[in-house]
Amino acid sequence: MFKKILIANRGEIAIRILKACQEMGVKTVAVYSDADAYSPHVQLADESAPLGNPLSSESYLNIQKIIHAAVETGAEAIHPGYGFLAENPDFAYACENAGITFIGPKSDVIKLMGNKIEAKQRMEKADVPIIPGYHGLRQENNFLFKQGKKIGFPLLVKAAAGGGGKGMRIVHREEELEEAIEGAKREAKSAFGNDTLLLEKYLDKPRHIEFQILADAYGNIVHLFERECSIQRRHQKVIEESPSPVMTAEMREKMGKAAVKAAKAVGYTNAGTIEFMVDSSLNFYFMEMNTRLQVEHPITEATTGVDIVKWQIRIASGEKITLCQETLSQRGHAIECRIYAEDPANGFLPCSGVLTKVEPPVGPNIRNDMGIETGMEVTAYYDPLLAKLIVSGENREDAINKMVWALSNYVLLGITTNTSFLKEILTHEAFRRGDITTHFIDTHFKNWFATRPEIPVEALIALSVYDMMNAKSGVQKEVTVSSVSDPYSPWKRAGKWRIGD
Amino acid sequence: MINLEFSYEYNNHVYKLTAERAKENDAYLITFNNRTYPVTSSEIKPGYLRIKLDDRVIKAVVAEGNKNMFVFLDGNAFNMKKVLPTSKRIEKKDGLVSPISGKVVNVKVKEGLSVKKGDVLMVIEAMKMEYLIKAPYDGIVKKIHLSVDEQIDMGMIPIEIEKTEG
Repeated sequence: MFKKILIANRGEIAIRILKACQEMGVKTVAVYSDADAYSPHVQLADESAPLGNPLSSESYLNIQKIIHAAVETGAEAIHPGYGFLAENPDFAYACENAGITFIGPKSDVIKLMGNKIEAKQRMEKADVPIIPGYHGLRQENNFLFKQGKKIGFPLLVKAAAGGGGKGMRIVHREEELEEAIEGAKREAKSAFGNDTLLLEKYLDKPRHIEFQILADAYGNIVHLFERECSIQRRHQKVIEESPSPVMTAEMREKMGKAAVKAAKAVGYTNAGTIEFMVDSSLNFYFMEMNTRLQVEHPITEATTGVDIVKWQIRIASGEKITLCQETLSQRGHAIECRIYAEDPANGFLPCSGVLTKVEPPVGPNIRNDMGIETGMEVTAYYDPLLAKLIVSGENREDAINKMVWALSNYVLLGITTNTSFLKEILTHEAFRRGDITTHFIDTHFKNWFATRPEIPVEALIALSVYDMMNAKSGVQKEVTVSSVSDPYSPWKRAGKWRIGD
Repeated sequence: MINLEFSYEYNNHVYKLTAERAKENDAYLITFNNRTYPVTSSEIKPGYLRIKLDDRVIKAVVAEGNKNMFVFLDGNAFNMKKVLPTSKRIEKKDGLVSPISGKVVNVKVKEGLSVKKGDVLMVIEAMKMEYLIKAPYDGIVKKIHLSVDEQIDMGMIPIEIEKTEG
């Protein structure tokens, strides 16, 4: 086992990993930019190393600075968390070169899975279902037309260099195909300067379901079942749950086997996630592999009892996986909500400022993974994810009710967050039915965005009572002193005491 | 008995309340919209209020920021802007710097004009809220650095005022 690990991340995930290390008796090194000097992850770590300039590219994304910090502090391994350098093959390579263990897969595997087209080709070879499509180099219009017809309709025509819906067409009938290819090429050319197109079967009402896997260096691979991550806004997951409400035992076994096969096909080691798209007839297709710890890993931990981060560390230090597929099981139902510093009533713009009060809900089966505390300043430098709230219950309904309760008792003041939006989703009738697809938010919350709740008179009363109790200026102070407490009261002189002492 | 007036801004709307401390400890009369609410309140722990109104109990958490106040009530968080009495607000500010990054939506003065302490000089819009730039002291407008629709950054000096003697 390692003696010391550097955590190349910040916020809630740095804290999550730090705690795992400390529980395992491993010393920890935190890194921090100037903006994070007083952050809780720095407080928690045994040692810390400054990265300077708060710009991500100068701090948490700066490979040289982080490797240097690891060497200086004598850390034997680096855990990258998620985001930042977690899926950067150059970083993994730099660690390997510096003789530091990168807690994750090998750099060439990260590189391979980072190339979406190559990854799909590898999966196809390994017999893992992929979305039928054409990703080739031949781009003549009539050739693309033939390929499109072969794939079938509805068909997605999209720019290979694309993003943001530009150069993208959904084609429902053969008659529309020619025009769609020409149009998409024109749009792609003007938007990206590159008119290479991809053709893919268009999945109507798709779900995003992913499988967690763990693989060691000795060829042992297990999967820890699925996570349903269909609730997304602009491709950003918002609420995740496990198990998926559509999953059957038979389908779970099939998908689990495919996930293990996918990991095996690329010689994967450490924790990883295979993302699948599932269509309305419950066919599943490999979408991509995330070669890192996922944000939503706690729901898997809640339902399987497996500590994924600790296994990452054990696997990286050369230990064998002692979990066995036959005895792994899912218990109950877990949900995660991502608490973002963003204003749903203002186009979900990220918010920054000082957190004046942070008191997360506590109770049975409620887990708070957070990178924040009262008095902390949230800057605009990094991702607006403040905390994750994870609950588990006996079944889905129980878990939803618990999550609604927990969100309603989550005191987070000072910065506007998305908690009201999360509650709206959880109490939506379609969500309760489990009728969710990746289009859920676009379908059901298109016109919701603009509303900010009316202020109740009770809130105004509470404010003025508070102001009255804490009145500050000269005159007001006098009033406070004389009427709130009696200066001659004997209690004033009693000091601290307890009954029974 | 002393009457205090409080104003809070929410969603571009200013809410005015008056509060009066009643004879008994922790009892208040809060008046809003011509209606008076007799309440008693206790602070369970800092910011956590338990307010009795008739036979109802209002459980609220209040926190104070620099320019805002926040209330947590029935699972919802409300972010209010403090509206302080004008005279107090200006005393706090020394120089003339923009408190926020945003867009200039109105310039109320011209160069050479004399202004009185507290006069509104410029209106800045940021995150859909308007912020007023006020004169920190009596003086003459020496230089206006920004015009309508221009972008202003936090800490920038939008207008220079030459302080008049005395």
